Amino acid sequence: MATIPLPLGDDLYLCAHDAPRGRCLLTPATLGLGLAAALLGELVLWRRLDLRDNHMTVIDDRATGDPATTAVLGQLMRESHHRRLRDWISFLATGVATELVERRLARAGLIRREEKRGLLGTKVRFVPTDDSVAGWPGTRIRIAATRGELLDSPDLVLTGLVLATGLDQHVLVTLEAGERDHLYDQLRRRMPAMLQHLVGHAEAAVGDAVMARRA
Amino acid sequence: MSTSTPVRESQLSTALARDRLGVAAVVFFVMSAAAPLTVVAGVVPTGLAVTGLTAISIAFLAVALVLAVFAVGYVAMSRHIANAGAFYAYIARGLGRPLGVGAAWVALLAYNSFQIASYGGFGAIATPLFADWFGVDLPWWGIALVAWALVAVLGVRDVAVNGKVLATLLVAEIVLVVIFSFADMLSADFAASSAPLDPGSLVGTGAGALLVMAVTGFVGFEQSVVFSEESRDPRRTVPRATYIAVALIAVLYAFSAWAMISAAGDKAVERAGAEGPELFFNLASDRLGGTALHLGHALFLTSLIAAMISFHNIIARYTFSLGREGVLPRAFGRTVPATGAPKNGSLAQSALGLIAIGIYALAGWDPLVQMFFWGGTTGGIGVLLLITVTSVAVIGYFARHPEGEDAWHRVGAPLLGTVLLLVVTYLALTNIAVLFGVEPGSTLTWAVPLAYALLTLAGVAWALILRRTRPQVYAGIGMGARSAGTGFSFRDATSEAQP
Repeated sequence: MATIPLPLGDDLYLCAHDAPRGRCLLTPATLGLGLAAALLGELVLWRRLDLRDNHMTVIDDRATGDPATTAVLGQLMRESHHRRLRDWISFLATGVATELVERRLARAGLIRREEKRGLLGTKVRFVPTDDSVAGWPGTRIRIAATRGELLDSPDLVLTGLVLATGLDQHVLVTLEAGERDHLYDQLRRRMPAMLQHLVGHAEAAVGDAVMARRA
Repeated sequence: MSTSTPVRESQLSTALARDRLGVAAVVFFVMSAAAPLTVVAGVVPTGLAVTGLTAISIAFLAVALVLAVFAVGYVAMSRHIANAGAFYAYIARGLGRPLGVGAAWVALLAYNSFQIASYGGFGAIATPLFADWFGVDLPWWGIALVAWALVAVLGVRDVAVNGKVLATLLVAEIVLVVIFSFADMLSADFAASSAPLDPGSLVGTGAGALLVMAVTGFVGFEQSVVFSEESRDPRRTVPRATYIAVALIAVLYAFSAWAMISAAGDKAVERAGAEGPELFFNLASDRLGGTALHLGHALFLTSLIAAMISFHNIIARYTFSLGREGVLPRAFGRTVPATGAPKNGSLAQSALGLIAIGIYALAGWDPLVQMFFWGGTTGGIGVLLLITVTSVAVIGYFARHPEGEDAWHRVGAPLLGTVLLLVVTYLALTNIAVLFGVEPGSTLTWAVPLAYALLTLAGVAWALILRRTRPQVYAGIGMGARSAGTGFSFRDATSEAQP
């Protein structure tokens, strides 16, 4: 199961949950920003979306065959007067992106709904169905970095978003300096400019949230 | 507008508008950072005792007027720049990046002075109260350390005081100040005094000292613009909130200071010296009785703690944004992923606070005058310098980017504000001995301005070094955490090898 490549958003979601307990390593706000950027990144990889500075252009409005990105694309088409990248990251981060990704992962059987009854009502959360699934995307990047292998574009964006959300403090902490340099070098040289741009905006949005006490 | 908006409501606009703040929310935030009870019961009586000057009410009103004029251009510029809320961002954009870094460092010292002052104030004020309530005789620094530990733990875990709790405390503080002030007016010795309102004192000796004390009372008002992008209508919400907050603070402080000094009669300065912060409570107590007094004291302590926590968070975030920019070491741009707390900025502030408490405790210095009042006024001078330079920066910025603002916002108000602020700054620096209550020429009178001057120079030098060695970092100065291209780890990772 773990060897089938997952969409970017799913990978990031699993990266952000620790394997043994299924606990989320990020605040809901930061996770939302990361997943928002991940879904937009998927649309860039699907060749549906172009990004320039803070502006986005839909270059192809055909459905992608994946419900999550198709939903975002549909929303983009409906709200054609809104084209600022940062606005869309903020909007999708209000819970839209997290819900889309959770639904997609649940459909694939990788996470399951768990209800916890407490004193103050029932808490619903999603937990990975399998320990190895939760840790896998992070492990994959780590292994590639230790072996000095080259990452493909989706994994480069994933690495970028791991850095942007601060997840690197969990995922990349065991890397040695040389391995880290090699990884950064790839981000610099091999990640498409448009996606570098997207990750940069995601990172700025995360910093923004910290400053405005929303993180 | 209506022609381009589709009939169906935009989900995006609705979702983004849901969290937007209104005028009241911004006013609350600003006023809680200003900590009214701390100023009225803490700063005013201590200031009376140290400087021997009574014309504090008119000083509050005068400073409010100057700040309102300053705010016209300040708020206008906040709509055009990233990282609004940090003075150095305005200075970097208006007067160049090197001076911006200098200002950033000055601001760090000024804000930390306030924070350290509040530890001393809390220790000094709580010690007699604890002795009274619980019969325990603790050293001031012991109590200060407990408050410090609380702030440090909450800070690094980023537990902000709940908004509703803060609002309740604030309203209670304001109500208490008003009731106590009216009780002052009913006290036996009350005789309406004209001294607190004498405009002549604003040109007399010690005028600068009064003005700095008043500026200290307003610190926090500059935070209103942090919410520029979060407010319902940036063109109206933030300016209105700023003016309302400044006006409310001015009226509240001026009235309560006047009532307090009038009630103390001719002996205001002597009694302030003997009774310290208790003056505010003692004067009103004969009308209000013991319960009100205890309630007032309890609220005084909670107000100080709330102010400490919110100020600590402001400093931690300020350090965080400097770390993200690369002006401070990158490690300060780190947060705890699970909480979003700006961990290293918070830890650094706490370390500094611990060192300061330790030094004062070991040296046996007075926590009320030498830590609370001197610290607060040192911070006040720093903020006054920052406001003045920012006012110049606003003129500089709009001279190059006149788009979207009218002449009053771009030139008129900033020019007027700058002239007024330069006068205030001049008076402050020439009256510095009166302000600290020391002999002219003693160490403190030149050490504080020198520290700010050296920090500015060091900041300028650091900026020039960055320009040569790390042009990408230099280019991002003043942008804070806000704009793409200046982030921390990812940008750092992708820009390292470039020359």
